[in-house]
Amino acid sequence: MHGLHSTQLALCAAAFDAASNGLLVLDHEERIVLWNEWMSHHSGLSPQKVMGRTLTELFPELQGSRLLMALRGALHSGHPSLLSQSLNKAPLPLFSGPSPTPQQLRIRQAVKVLPLTPDGMPRHCLIQVTDVSLSVARERLLRDQAMELRACSHLDSLTSIPNRRQLDEYLARELRRAVRASAPLSLIMLDIDYFKHYNDTYGHQMGDQSLIQVAAALESTLKRPGDMVTRYGGEEFVVVLVDTDKAGAAVLAEKMRARIESLSIKHEQSQVAPHITISLGVASAIPGLNCEASTLILAADQALYQAKHNGRNRVQIYDPELLCGIRNQPNFRALQA
Amino acid sequence: MLSPDMLELDDMERDALTEVFNIGVGQAASAMSQMVNDRVELSVPSISFTSRAAAALELTHDAGQRICGVSQRFQGSFEADAILMFPENKSLEIVRLMIGDDMPIEELTAMEQEALTEIGNIILNALIGTLANVFGSEFSSSLPAFHFGTSSEILQAERKNADDLVMLLHVDFKLETHQINGYVAFLLDVSSVQGLRDSINRFMGNIAR
Repeated sequence: MHGLHSTQLALCAAAFDAASNGLLVLDHEERIVLWNEWMSHHSGLSPQKVMGRTLTELFPELQGSRLLMALRGALHSGHPSLLSQSLNKAPLPLFSGPSPTPQQLRIRQAVKVLPLTPDGMPRHCLIQVTDVSLSVARERLLRDQAMELRACSHLDSLTSIPNRRQLDEYLARELRRAVRASAPLSLIMLDIDYFKHYNDTYGHQMGDQSLIQVAAALESTLKRPGDMVTRYGGEEFVVVLVDTDKAGAAVLAEKMRARIESLSIKHEQSQVAPHITISLGVASAIPGLNCEASTLILAADQALYQAKHNGRNRVQIYDPELLCGIRNQPNFRALQA
Repeated sequence: MLSPDMLELDDMERDALTEVFNIGVGQAASAMSQMVNDRVELSVPSISFTSRAAAALELTHDAGQRICGVSQRFQGSFEADAILMFPENKSLEIVRLMIGDDMPIEELTAMEQEALTEIGNIILNALIGTLANVFGSEFSSSLPAFHFGTSSEILQAERKNADDLVMLLHVDFKLETHQINGYVAFLLDVSSVQGLRDSINRFMGNIAR
């Protein structure tokens, strides 16, 4: 240590030991000449045990490792290296406690390997080890949260069932599949009867509660994984039924109607019943014919309108004969009459 | 005035220099293959001398677009900044390929930045080592630094430096079925151009003998 007073030397040694990361210095023959307190603590190896030995003598697993290549790059060519934790995880067997057990996880490490050129001495190498376990954990948490957010963006925040965005993606995909497989596909559009009155009478909080109950009840009537209830907006729901024809959809729609009625959620201002009821419209695509999602939704909406018109708390199947003029549009030829 | 002509190499000289750089990145590739347990191939298909402004344009046609770079400053018989850059979103692709992460997020996280810095460090050390061998002298270098900005910012190609000379290496990076084209720029100032020139001449003389 050229030019340093003995007090400075003592301070350097004290600082080296007090540092809150791992510091070790190796000579040009790769032998350890300095090993700080942090290294002792986390490796369980005292300076006496490591002095004059090489890293591979201490840790045979390092043979041929990136750390060793970096060490040689520093000693022979003067190249500094950085070993990121993403690409190297935990190059050295270092543990959070002083007495490592085989079960204990290694500290996640970021390592810097730096050539040292002390005056009048051959080149040495400083290895600096930082514990990044906390940052790794924090980053993982952030990623998990980001993943969750993505999943949530497809769920309705109130009822936790799929939202309209997911309906759009799902219906388009399933319609394409149905056409390829010449399989039937049906849609139910439904809404709660006199829901505005309900909100006006019981308040929006109760309104929200009833929406959550209705959504859960609708979902509980579906048994097959391919079927999906989505919140279309307000008090409107859309149910996608894969591999289901008009007759099958009608049966399920009636089951849903009965299920909601059986919830017996008090609704005194309803003009059809003293409890909450729903009206449902069913539309089905003809197997093998190309049917647009928007066409199917419009047809189900028309059927729902008819169900309302016919007195509510009932199921109406899309029937071009009964409905207003849309049957003449070419798009609607793909619907089951 | 400094111009790309000052370092015009003939075909033989250019081939020889390209060849040495290929040997250099070959070593980096074997180190990276070992790290990811998969075959990583690196090659330098061509070298050119150009101005910083022209190099910035070659990297991104859209001047506002931001890219990632990793730089190391090295000094020996001459002094220069070596900067590894991947155009457009390729840096992310490389990191994801190496870490095997398929998180659909557009930004590089801190950990991924560090990983990219390490990849840059491996490649730049190999190239600087090659230069040291070629020039028969040693270069000391700084730890790698990560940059994010437009190609013009990273290459410091604004105004007063726009005409300064850059030795631009194309680096092809192959992993699994992906091929990604990157660049390494050596930013040279007047004195370093002379140093590089002398060194190249000496090196060519040695080969010829």
